Amino acid sequence: MKLTRTKAFKTFAGPAWYENPINMQMLGICSALAVTVQLKTAFVMTLAMTFVVSLSNLIISLLRNVIPGNIRIIVELAVIASLVILADEFLRAYYFEISKLLSVFVGLIITNCIILGRAEGFALSNPPHLAFVDGLGNGVGYGSVLMSVALIRELFGSGSIFGYTVVPERLYAAGYEDMGLMLLAPAAFIIIGLMAWLQKYLVNSRK
Amino acid sequence: MSETLKSIGFALGMCLVCGVLLTAAATGLQPMQEKNRLSDRQKNVLYTVDLASRDKAYTPEQIRDIYEKNIDKIRVSAAGEIAEPAEDKAGDGQVLTIYLYTKNGEIQNYIIPIESQGLWGKIYGYMALENDGSTVAGFTVYEHSETPGLGGEIEKQWFQENFEGKKIVDRTGRFVAVQIAKGDVDKRVPEEKESHYVDGISGATLTGRYLSKGLEKTLSRYEPVSLCFRKQRLSCRLQEPTDPGEK
Amino acid sequence: MVELLSLFLNSVFAGNILLAYFLGMCSFVAVSKNIETAVGLGFAVIFVLTVTTPVNWLIFHGLLSPGALAWAGLPDVDLSFLKLIIFISVIAAMVQAIEIIIDRFSASLYAGLGIFLPLIAVNCAILGGSLFMVERNLTFIESVVFGFGAGVGWMLAIVAMAAARIKLRYADLPSGLEGFAITMIVTGLMAMAFMLFSGITM
Repeated sequence: MKLTRTKAFKTFAGPAWYENPINMQMLGICSALAVTVQLKTAFVMTLAMTFVVSLSNLIISLLRNVIPGNIRIIVELAVIASLVILADEFLRAYYFEISKLLSVFVGLIITNCIILGRAEGFALSNPPHLAFVDGLGNGVGYGSVLMSVALIRELFGSGSIFGYTVVPERLYAAGYEDMGLMLLAPAAFIIIGLMAWLQKYLVNSRK
Repeated sequence: MSETLKSIGFALGMCLVCGVLLTAAATGLQPMQEKNRLSDRQKNVLYTVDLASRDKAYTPEQIRDIYEKNIDKIRVSAAGEIAEPAEDKAGDGQVLTIYLYTKNGEIQNYIIPIESQGLWGKIYGYMALENDGSTVAGFTVYEHSETPGLGGEIEKQWFQENFEGKKIVDRTGRFVAVQIAKGDVDKRVPEEKESHYVDGISGATLTGRYLSKGLEKTLSRYEPVSLCFRKQRLSCRLQEPTDPGEK
Repeated sequence: MVELLSLFLNSVFAGNILLAYFLGMCSFVAVSKNIETAVGLGFAVIFVLTVTTPVNWLIFHGLLSPGALAWAGLPDVDLSFLKLIIFISVIAAMVQAIEIIIDRFSASLYAGLGIFLPLIAVNCAILGGSLFMVERNLTFIESVVFGFGAGVGWMLAIVAMAAARIKLRYADLPSGLEGFAITMIVTGLMAMAFMLFSGITM
């Protein structure tokens, strides 16, 4: 039995690449772009997001047979909001510097369509372990896009990776300058557009 | 009907579970968060007088040790006397909080808490002045809501370091505060005013303007204290912290 | 008065909630395919933001913020950790209430807006408006102006986008670029244009 044939793997790889929540399904872009000025914040956001989406999937899947249908959405929102608050409080207690940089965007994970979408579309109709793996896959797929955008923005905008300067002094001396536009909002839109184009092209050409 | 009851029951159960969980987490983590907030402010006070460097990471304990060794928080009345907290009952701003950096029994700097209007919200920070009462030693911002990449640059080292060595008085000794220029100082500001202007941030004219106004307002409130230092009056030689417990 | 006007202009242009803070993207991409629906959703967003931001302001400063419960004899209680969950409930409830009211009083408006209202409850621009209001320490009056301005800015962006996408239908794009990718790139160009407004001063 090859790993790539197992159901769990497919559940993981689907959202992480073929149906990438950001590039292929156009979901959850809001918070994705706002925190991509630096890799550090993008990475923490990825962790917070993965935590929320995998656990909310797990919990909702566990409750799937007892949740009354008519208040389904409210229950899902309550679970998600509680997890987000936990993540937010935790960050403010243990990673204060980063939580200052993330400001309101951790809170905005609540309205990230990916999470509610997975809860509705997957967790309600699948057993807990698959739902959890699906959440992880979505978190990773989401994170990979976030990190790539952040890598480009930080490298060209501040000349560093994870805060460590990588552009050699010699290059600056020779007249190279960091690109200020990379730090501003428009660059994020354009990079994500180009990345979506590339990924769609790759996925299409395989078919 | 039983369906509705079941839903209501389920919702109530949900509320209870979530409420208990969240309250437990929030209450449990609150001391930690308070400690972080306090440590962050102490660290920013230390930045202004170069007792901590912005490039290094410190544990909250290290920050606390350096802070308690060197910095005293005191309250002074407008005349430069140490004030009892009770005197400011009315809250009319007659009693001012300052932080003193003392080295070998000599006051090196006094540090003023800055609160200014910004484009999007309040800007909070500290400004340290030398004991001559007119030269800026350092400036930091620890809380703001300006746009990242534009007004948000006020939290960056390059912007804050521009303040070092600037004067809050002009050549005749008149109080003028420090202003943020609209662009680069050497291109925009006449020679005789360069000592109290810092380079502005491109694309953030408004943030700069608000911050200039806020700095002027705060510094003019503290002008009596600065005057004390300028005149080297004895009553300003505040040595003892009033209340060691209040750090 | 001048401050309020400048806050309004800033939330519409230079600090546009969508083009500078990326909020409300999902509906922005999904609904900007034609002008009528974009205008309808835009009005609905203005309406909901203008109502929920001040309402959440009252709730936050009356019940949740540290020391807010002093009137109840509980000056030390700080419930601000509950703000996220309360805000989202208020938004969902408000949207529901607005839907019922519109349904009661104007069938034509309901037919036009009704389909968008549920979409709005999970539009992050709405929650973002309330969170920024807390983050930026706005006063009550400012929160009304900010809510309205953020809504107007969002509507301006989505309507402009819808207009651009109509033109894009006739463009011969390389494979993979059509749809989402080109929408994002055009949004980026639009965001640059909006940044130019940061020079406006009152």
